[in-house]
Amino acid sequence: MRLSRFILPVLLLFNFHVFAQLGDDMEDETKFYAQTKQVNQFFRRFNGEENEKGDRYYPDDKQYRNNKLRKKYIGMLFDGSNANFSNDLKVQFAKDVLDKDKPGVLDFHAPGWTAEVQTVFNIAGKDQNVTLFMELEPDHLGYKWVISHMYSDIFSTYFKRDTTRIGQFLHPMSHELMFMNLRKAFLSVDSVAQFASKHFTPDYLTLFLYEVKKGNMKFKYVSDVKFHFFQIDGWYFELADFNRPGYNTGWLISNLAKISTDKDKEALRKFIYHETP
Amino acid sequence: MFVGLVASTLSAQTAQKAEISPQRKQAIDSLALEKVRDLSKYISIIGNKKTPYSEATRVMDRAEELFIPGSEMGVSSLTSKEVNYYKVRKYFERLMALNYDRVNIKWYDIHYISDLERQPDGRYVGVVTIYQRFEGESDDGLKYKDTTKKDITIYVERKKTQIAGRTIEFWDVLLGDIRVTETSA
Repeated sequence: MRLSRFILPVLLLFNFHVFAQLGDDMEDETKFYAQTKQVNQFFRRFNGEENEKGDRYYPDDKQYRNNKLRKKYIGMLFDGSNANFSNDLKVQFAKDVLDKDKPGVLDFHAPGWTAEVQTVFNIAGKDQNVTLFMELEPDHLGYKWVISHMYSDIFSTYFKRDTTRIGQFLHPMSHELMFMNLRKAFLSVDSVAQFASKHFTPDYLTLFLYEVKKGNMKFKYVSDVKFHFFQIDGWYFELADFNRPGYNTGWLISNLAKISTDKDKEALRKFIYHETP
Repeated sequence: MFVGLVASTLSAQTAQKAEISPQRKQAIDSLALEKVRDLSKYISIIGNKKTPYSEATRVMDRAEELFIPGSEMGVSSLTSKEVNYYKVRKYFERLMALNYDRVNIKWYDIHYISDLERQPDGRYVGVVTIYQRFEGESDDGLKYKDTTKKDITIYVERKKTQIAGRTIEFWDVLLGDIRVTETSA
């Protein structure tokens, strides 16, 4: 099934609606109608929960999550300029999502999606990139976004170590000497990471909170946001905002991968969070 | 104690799932749009070079009343990833002080209203998206125009008031932070 079969009818619907009410700026407004303007609209279009004007459908409405409607929308929710994922892959994804017996829908409140927020902090007079991973968490009467992970090159360089070679170590009888050789271990700050367990993984979020609280990191601005979705069984996709001319704009699927096993899923999750495999 | 804990957990879950009916949501959307239209109107007056200073100041006061205290505008352009944050009053003052002889602000006839989500304190929050075309021109021929997308936070709260001794409950909408993005349209 070709994707243009999804996209065209929807654009025609937008055109019809816009022709009916606009004058000089028709071209621009048509673009804004087609644009997936909010992440909220991505959810609604993906699930088939709104009409072409953006009015919401509710569970009692006949068109709510209607498969034909969803088929129209899903084709236009991909970044059309991305050659990294094939048309066949997109069609396979759409087929799984639109399965009549087990349709794949997105749930705003369910786990399985994460925001990756690129921020800039000023550290010792220099602007540094800091990535915050955020998740929705239930709290009291509602929900809130919380920071679940953090990553920055400014921290990761301190924890790089080669565990394949025999480096420096504390010999196995050190305990008999009340670990007096720790003094030598801490003489060189460069090699101190070699004395940590090979199972150790740094918790950057703890470091980050400490540095912010100490006043060593000052927030400047958010430079970019994207989302990672694991809510559709057997699939991963990335959602990003495309601010560019044309109709294929706004919040669109910027990456898509089939994940066959839990092991693949875990490897991808670790890759996203910059965790060492 | 265990029973109490279960009860409180259940009530918290119920509260998180408490949804506004479609009819109520429509009424709240209309109220939110009314406030957004008021803001659009005020921005056009503040930006208009023909508006006297005293009138612009009065309109800025009215415009500020639409917002919850501490609301900010986060402004970015196509040329830079950097976002500049201004308190709404500061944003209005900057708009008024723009160095053009003629300013034309037009609002596109399109909007998008998100669902309302409940936050921990029980208030509902949503986002209304609108688009604005700005054109500025100086007497020396300098022209500037841009189209910006404005994602406007709305806070929805159930309030009570006393009228002639009777308690009346109503839904109130206030505006919050606004993200302003230059679009490539």
